[in-house]
Amino acid sequence: MPEDLSTLIAPLLAPLISPVPTEWYLVLSAILFAIGSLGVLLRKNALTIFMSVELMLNAVNLSFVAFSRQFGQFDGQIFVFFVMAVAAAEVAIGLAIIVDIFRSRNSVDIDDVSWLKG
Amino acid sequence: MEFIIFALAAAVSVAAAIMMVLNRNAMYSALFLVLTFFCFAVFYVLLGAYFLAVVQVAVYAGAIMVLMLFVLMLLNVSHPEAADRRLAFLRPFAVIAGLILVVELAVAVSRGSAPAVAASPSTTSGSALATATVSRPVATPTPVYEPAGEATVGHTQLLASVLFTRYLFPFEVTSILLLGAILGAAVLARKRPELT
Repeated sequence: MPEDLSTLIAPLLAPLISPVPTEWYLVLSAILFAIGSLGVLLRKNALTIFMSVELMLNAVNLSFVAFSRQFGQFDGQIFVFFVMAVAAAEVAIGLAIIVDIFRSRNSVDIDDVSWLKG
Repeated sequence: MEFIIFALAAAVSVAAAIMMVLNRNAMYSALFLVLTFFCFAVFYVLLGAYFLAVVQVAVYAGAIMVLMLFVLMLLNVSHPEAADRRLAFLRPFAVIAGLILVVELAVAVSRGSAPAVAASPSTTSGSALATATVSRPVATPTPVYEPAGEATVGHTQLLASVLFTRYLFPFEVTSILLLGAILGAAVLARKRPELT
């Protein structure tokens, strides 16, 4: 009787037990990337835009790691390291620029930053 | 079990990301982003990238977000964005552009078909050797990444062996990049009386 039950339930539980397919991670990565890009387009606060860029970088990292598992290679994870290093450098420089803009304009609103406008 | 954890973390990460974008208070946005980063660490654990999960928490949720929160509090701009904006007419175009990107990503993901999982170590190491033959010890084959589960003891060690042999030059270039970032940040944050 338990065998019958298990054979009956097994197909239903199969997707719950087997590892999550790579495609799902890619879909999730695409969703998060799209949310991040919408944040960059919609927000006016330079700091929030910055955070959205970080979210986009992380979404790409997720697909790197997912492909790393898919192909059984380490290269994807190595690239994630480099992306993280570049993100750290970007945050340091970007926040310094934002602080500098705030000093002169007393605002971090990107609409206030129009020095390059002719 | 893995599926349930993935579903939970995916739901939390997407919800936190949406809240991060929609929230008008930058401070709450930062905290929601930290939550999203923790979800990413969960995904890395599920994918077997344990060291990356630790780095994700330590570097992203730790260092980078602390720096971001520090600047947020330093500038004290956590008050909500003003509703009326001079460039408000651009917002519908931003929404349209974002939706176009969403559609593009949906098409790309739905039409693409993932190739078969690398089954045997011999095929993967062979292709890797064919593409990249940089100064690597000949005796050591390309370390094959074991997906979660068994034989994960030397995972970080294998990762380091790839990073410090095949990717040694990019690694060194990254250190120069970080040095440049430190110098640039110091120069930018300095007081410049002649400009104001």
